[in-house]
Amino acid sequence: MIEVRDIKKRYGFKSVLNGVSFTAAKGEITCLIGINGTGKTTILKSIMGLTPFRSGEVLIDGKHLDKHAYEKITYIPDTITMLPSMRIFEALDFMKDFYSCWNAERAEELLKFFKLQGSDRISHLSKGNTAKVNMLLGLALDVDYLLMDEPFSGIDIFSREQIADVFTSHLVENRGVIITTHELNEIEHLIDKAVLLDGGKVLKEFQTEDMREQEGKSVVDVMREVYNQ
Amino acid sequence: MKIAFNKRDAVYVQVVHHFKQLIAKGELAPGQQIPSRRELASDLRINPNTAQRAYKEMEEEGLIYTESNQPSKVTQDKALIEGMRHGIILEAVQAFIGSMHEINVPLDECVQLVKTNYEAK
Repeated sequence: MIEVRDIKKRYGFKSVLNGVSFTAAKGEITCLIGINGTGKTTILKSIMGLTPFRSGEVLIDGKHLDKHAYEKITYIPDTITMLPSMRIFEALDFMKDFYSCWNAERAEELLKFFKLQGSDRISHLSKGNTAKVNMLLGLALDVDYLLMDEPFSGIDIFSREQIADVFTSHLVENRGVIITTHELNEIEHLIDKAVLLDGGKVLKEFQTEDMREQEGKSVVDVMREVYNQ
Repeated sequence: MKIAFNKRDAVYVQVVHHFKQLIAKGELAPGQQIPSRRELASDLRINPNTAQRAYKEMEEEGLIYTESNQPSKVTQDKALIEGMRHGIILEAVQAFIGSMHEINVPLDECVQLVKTNYEAK
């Protein structure tokens, strides 16, 4: 389980996180929801240790972040992290060199799943295909936790469907996934837990199926209630 | 298998309901093998946890059974199936009666309407 406890973060004088707390369980898909600028990326980066935070703590399976944690957790940002001149297969080799938990077999499987060619140059890829390469690089690591930052943003509908299919397959089975988004359409019925953010705080945290069963509300219904106060 | 999900009812409940209909209609025969949880999640495009919950619910209700190391199968309990079929029919009938009450349609008119409009497929 990933536990985020009361983290506070400022960029200069601008306060972005004012005490954010939530948990993301292994084997579940947790979705951080909030409009642009609410600090979703900042939270993911804080979990990964890519940005420092003023106070609070992050625990991954009960431990604070250390260098070994990177074999357990990976962050898939919304921009490509590889050199644009690289071909896809070169990016895969690069990952293999850096990570002992790189699963080359799964990488091959994902190439087919996403219908990508290893020989394609990253800079020549469409936005949708770049997003899929990014996703591939993260998913092919044998890590327990995957953090995905806006995986659907600006992506065409068919690529979105392909990416959404990842969540219903064995590719994320038994792993903990935290995904951020501000658009829920394709995935509302796929997420286990929703965390609604605003003003640097968690306004509401709930299990989606329980909300549907007990209150007959969709995630969007709850968002309307919570954000319109 | 394809289900059009609505976003306000629990997904697992919708899956269970769908299975009940298939079983009631006889499209899933008693003792017939059903897809694995993983296959179902993939086919229906749902979270595997949801598929798991649906199967658990169906096992608890006795709609399916799983022998060790075997794929799950539809129950062979004919009385249970008949009871479930009856439950679904009753639900639909009550929904219909509810709508008719809302527009204040008298019983005779309802029966007549059903008679003239009902066409067995």
